[in-house]
Amino acid sequence: MKEKVLTEHFGLENLYKIDVYKKQGGYQATEKALKKMKPEEILEEVKKANLRGRGGAGFPAGVKWSFVPDTDKPKYLCVNADEGEPGTFKDRYIMSHNPHMLLEGIIITSFCVGIHAAFIYIRGEYEAIALRLEQAISEAYENGFLGKNILESGFDLDIFVHRGAGAYICGEETALLESLEGKRGVPRLKPPFPASVGLWQCPTVINNVETISNISHIILNGAEWFVKQGLPKDGGTRIFGVSGMVKNPGIYELPLGTSLKDIIFKHAGGMKEGKKLKAVIPGGMSAPILTADEINIKMDFDSLVEANSMLGSAAIIVIDEKTSILDVLKVVTKFYSHESCGQCTPCRIGNSWINKIVKRIAEGKGKKEDIDSILRLASNIEGNTLCPLGDAAAMPILSITKKFRKELESHV
Amino acid sequence: MIIIIDGKKIEVEGKRTVLEVAREKDIFIPSLCDHPQLTPFGGCRLCIVEIKEKRGYPPSCSTYVENGMEIKTKTPRLQELRREILELILSEHPNACLICSEKENCDEYKSTIRKVGEVTGCVLCSNNGRCELQDVVETLKIDKVKFPSVYRDLDVKKGDPFFDRDYNLCILCGRCVRVCQEVRGASAVSFVYRGSEAVVGTVFDLPLLESGCQFCGACVDVCPTGSLTERGIRYEGLPDERAKTICPLCSIGCELKIDLKRQKILSSKPSDEGAVNEGQACVKGRFLIKDVVHSPRRILKPLIRVNKKLEEVSWEGALDFVAQKLKKFKGKKTALIASPQVSCEEYFLLHKFASEELKTENVDSSYRFSPLAVFDKMAKENGLELGLNFEIKDISRAKTLFLIGEDISKSHPIIWLEVLKAVKGGAKLIVASPEELSLSRYSALWLQIKPGTEFYLLSFLSKLFLQKEQEADHPRIEGLDSFEDSLDKLDLSNVFEMTGITREELKEASELLLDTENAAFLFGMGLTQHSWGSRNVAALWNLALQAQAQLFPLGLENNLRGVFEIGRNSSDKGLNLNQIFQAASSGELKALYLAGPAPYLKKANLELLVIQDSFVNENFEFADAVLPASTFAETEGTFINGEGRLQKFNKVIDPLGEAKPDWWIISQLARRMGNKGFHFKNPSDITKEMIKIVPSFSNISYAELEKGQKIFIQEETKKERSFIPLKYSDSHYKKSKEYPFLMFLDYSLDYYRSLSLSQESRGLKAIRDSRWIKVSLEDAEELNLKEGENIAVESSSGKFKGFVKIVKSLPKGILGASFLLSEDSDFSVSGLIPSVFQESHSLGMLPVKIKREK
Repeated sequence: MKEKVLTEHFGLENLYKIDVYKKQGGYQATEKALKKMKPEEILEEVKKANLRGRGGAGFPAGVKWSFVPDTDKPKYLCVNADEGEPGTFKDRYIMSHNPHMLLEGIIITSFCVGIHAAFIYIRGEYEAIALRLEQAISEAYENGFLGKNILESGFDLDIFVHRGAGAYICGEETALLESLEGKRGVPRLKPPFPASVGLWQCPTVINNVETISNISHIILNGAEWFVKQGLPKDGGTRIFGVSGMVKNPGIYELPLGTSLKDIIFKHAGGMKEGKKLKAVIPGGMSAPILTADEINIKMDFDSLVEANSMLGSAAIIVIDEKTSILDVLKVVTKFYSHESCGQCTPCRIGNSWINKIVKRIAEGKGKKEDIDSILRLASNIEGNTLCPLGDAAAMPILSITKKFRKELESHV
Repeated sequence: MIIIIDGKKIEVEGKRTVLEVAREKDIFIPSLCDHPQLTPFGGCRLCIVEIKEKRGYPPSCSTYVENGMEIKTKTPRLQELRREILELILSEHPNACLICSEKENCDEYKSTIRKVGEVTGCVLCSNNGRCELQDVVETLKIDKVKFPSVYRDLDVKKGDPFFDRDYNLCILCGRCVRVCQEVRGASAVSFVYRGSEAVVGTVFDLPLLESGCQFCGACVDVCPTGSLTERGIRYEGLPDERAKTICPLCSIGCELKIDLKRQKILSSKPSDEGAVNEGQACVKGRFLIKDVVHSPRRILKPLIRVNKKLEEVSWEGALDFVAQKLKKFKGKKTALIASPQVSCEEYFLLHKFASEELKTENVDSSYRFSPLAVFDKMAKENGLELGLNFEIKDISRAKTLFLIGEDISKSHPIIWLEVLKAVKGGAKLIVASPEELSLSRYSALWLQIKPGTEFYLLSFLSKLFLQKEQEADHPRIEGLDSFEDSLDKLDLSNVFEMTGITREELKEASELLLDTENAAFLFGMGLTQHSWGSRNVAALWNLALQAQAQLFPLGLENNLRGVFEIGRNSSDKGLNLNQIFQAASSGELKALYLAGPAPYLKKANLELLVIQDSFVNENFEFADAVLPASTFAETEGTFINGEGRLQKFNKVIDPLGEAKPDWWIISQLARRMGNKGFHFKNPSDITKEMIKIVPSFSNISYAELEKGQKIFIQEETKKERSFIPLKYSDSHYKKSKEYPFLMFLDYSLDYYRSLSLSQESRGLKAIRDSRWIKVSLEDAEELNLKEGENIAVESSSGKFKGFVKIVKSLPKGILGASFLLSEDSDFSVSGLIPSVFQESHSLGMLPVKIKREK
């Protein structure tokens, strides 16, 4: 029987306090890693665990770490807690319920890669959570898990919490680095990639909160166990954040590969008020939409790619028959038009025009050609921007417009 | 490596972008955000290409070539995408004219309707077709835009000096943002807001004047649209001629492109081919050339004094008058002062004229306090043969830089760019200055020094070095022992209090300087313009020897080096500049030929004063004759810049009014006085003679000069280096109850001949006014002084007037004044010679008191 990994103790009172956390076996992984393991062994274990990034792109964490070159420069870890993808709310659960699990992950990762300063870049709106992280960090310092010579291993680490200022683009890893450096948050040209040239031009590992939170479990229970929690190529569980027109919206930690249908109808209690399902956005707003006929699908990276969508941040947005698809499109286009950083022409002006056209349709002033205009504009954005934001905007717009063309046409 | 572009095999070396390689091979790829001087941006997306085995459409400006890369630049899909993208850009840029089929027929109406405030089409845009967007629209053949046009309706920003910013025309290419940050280090503008509201702006939308802008104009020059336009040429239309010349407004020697219309200068821009400036200039070269040449203060007719009044006469009349008068004052009772801003040829002639016709050795120019003259003198006195030549480009290769006695971001902006390059490459910059400079933010260490105490700072650093050196095993340089002895005798017990720099800061400075392989010491007038100048430079020399650093003496005037080289071979038995003015007051001197800057001659007691200048000044009051000289733009010749580089400058326009070049005036006078050695038809005749006579020009071939090649003048240097024992006396500047403030001078060359640039240009005046008297915040509060208030500063020898400029970083009790003192003062005409600082006890610091003025 597969079990919960990350959310196992979430119900427990005061889990965010270090004493309670330690009673549940907290910081044993840190002790094991720092005292009994070599950095190479940790890296090997994480690689074997096939832990894929939980932020959206699904890049294997171990491989990412191994890209960090051996230099004299300092290295940094940035934990991406910007959680800006609409529909996504898993990281805030982890950070508010179990901040020490994240800290443990940071300590072990840093030890593994040879990092002595780690940053948690948290979205500005998460003020209370940032405070909770700060408290957890100071508890960790008091208990000797942070600071100089951690657990007498000779390893030093400091963790800093940095609050963002509310731009979606700062969740993009290089824009995050710019923002962290105190500059305007805009993506950098890649290559070079952050693993070699990152924060302050130094090698930098950037991982999502959920990814890092898995590390202590891999260290404690082994890679083999971790792979068993999910799929061979895609180890562990996922925290699915279900929102929209379901009876029980919320987070559900389930093995990777659980079917979307089961998540909606079994775990989340099915449709609200007995309404019919119309569509599902399976991986945060940038993921291409799935129609009601397409939900018999396994929720893992590869299956969703096969279905021309993506697992992304595993945020499932459920849309019922009563919801106008035009309203969905309106929300999507308004968001991306506002959140484009403004650097690339197709994204900045293209999204702005798509938004204007959709608004025009919603006001009843649409024209027949408008649907094709939307498709043309969106396909010109796709693959034609500096950072993934362009694609993130184009993909849902294209899929919604194509799959629900008839409904949209009824508005013009 | 080999790459293939559009089927063509190309061999490439090094790290190059696809766009760079394509451009080199004349393969046209449209682009708007890319600029050769800037880092790739990848934003406009017009330069997209298809690359085999690469996903999507990578922008060629930010994709680096790899061996075997197969690139296509003109597939139908690419052209379609580019057109779509361009249409998007045009949907936010006034486009009616761009795609209008009648646009050619419209030209003749342009001038009448251009004077509208809002640019809603090319006919109204002051760029007059000098528009890269327009070029791209033409090559991609856009004749329709599918989107309705959107006018952003932003206020056009017209409140700052020199240029307007109309972000309704901006296409967000980010060139201005990048050039300001990457090349100029000012970061005055940035992108603000995001998404469809993204636009270029300043911090909190403040005016540029309050955003750290240096008004170098680099942003205007890289702007591909009419978004940033020089205000002075908004309504002038296109130039009908373009010329190249060398800027005379500082010692860098930037090459400028001058746009002309009907023999009038429209504007001046940095030339990309400039050996020193490579496409960059500063506020003076970029925006003030026109104001200088076409200043309303120009004198355009000869004047002679008739019945106590200066009256206009013909050249014949004026020259006869002056020649007759001068004949009476030959010998010791006559003196000649020349400007270090005239050409080598003209200075050479002035010298020749003085010795052959005026028969006097009393010839001087205001280079005496310049870093290079003081440096040279110090070397000579100590038997060293040191070179003055250097290359500005070497500065960018330094690993540690020490800047003392100059705010180079103002006085030598192009040198600052090289320092910035070094800093961006990881070099450490140490700055010693009394106030915080805008460049201090790039410094690893800022030593806030009490002005006048540089000698102690440098000596103390030497001492710290010696202590360290004893541990290390360095080859001993000659003279070390006597240098050590002299250091031991110097009382540095209260150096921290004296200099205002802490023990920790000094320690850090010595560590930074010791721990480097390639150090550059840059020093300016602040170190040399006072009676301790020579010993300051000796102290710096010793420190540089210890740190194995190269010294860069930074002079101010455009032809300081030329004047220095020509002057150094003549006898120095005559009176120097100070002595000339003293003699003029005492009555020893009877006649003065003034072809250069001078203080206000109110106290002078002369029988003959001849002024040869381009601008009206206060000494006209005492002149017997005024000969109107043309400016640099109206003649040709050579200047030698701060590096020792001889550069030919060209005639740009005909002389204004009846003004004549200095060489012509002197030649005519000499001939009238019977001298046969002045039969020069043009400056090149003089060049040929000068090359033969002046030893340091002996390596110059006239043919090469004609071809426009830049030549370094000859210099003999011996490799021998040795320490110089320090000399010092106990004298030290003193405040007193009566004069409780100490005032230092702020150096930048904000004048041309007798024209004060900040008095001429309102724009420069807003940036930095030569009449500012800098007061610390504490003093201002204590004395209840308001910004801009009229005050006078009084020393034991006189007073001058100015306006309060409150400077937060200035320590209490210290005042700062411009090198160019107030016109309205007891001391100087359009300043130039800050005579108050020539008192022997002043040490670059003058005890003064503040007086309120009504």
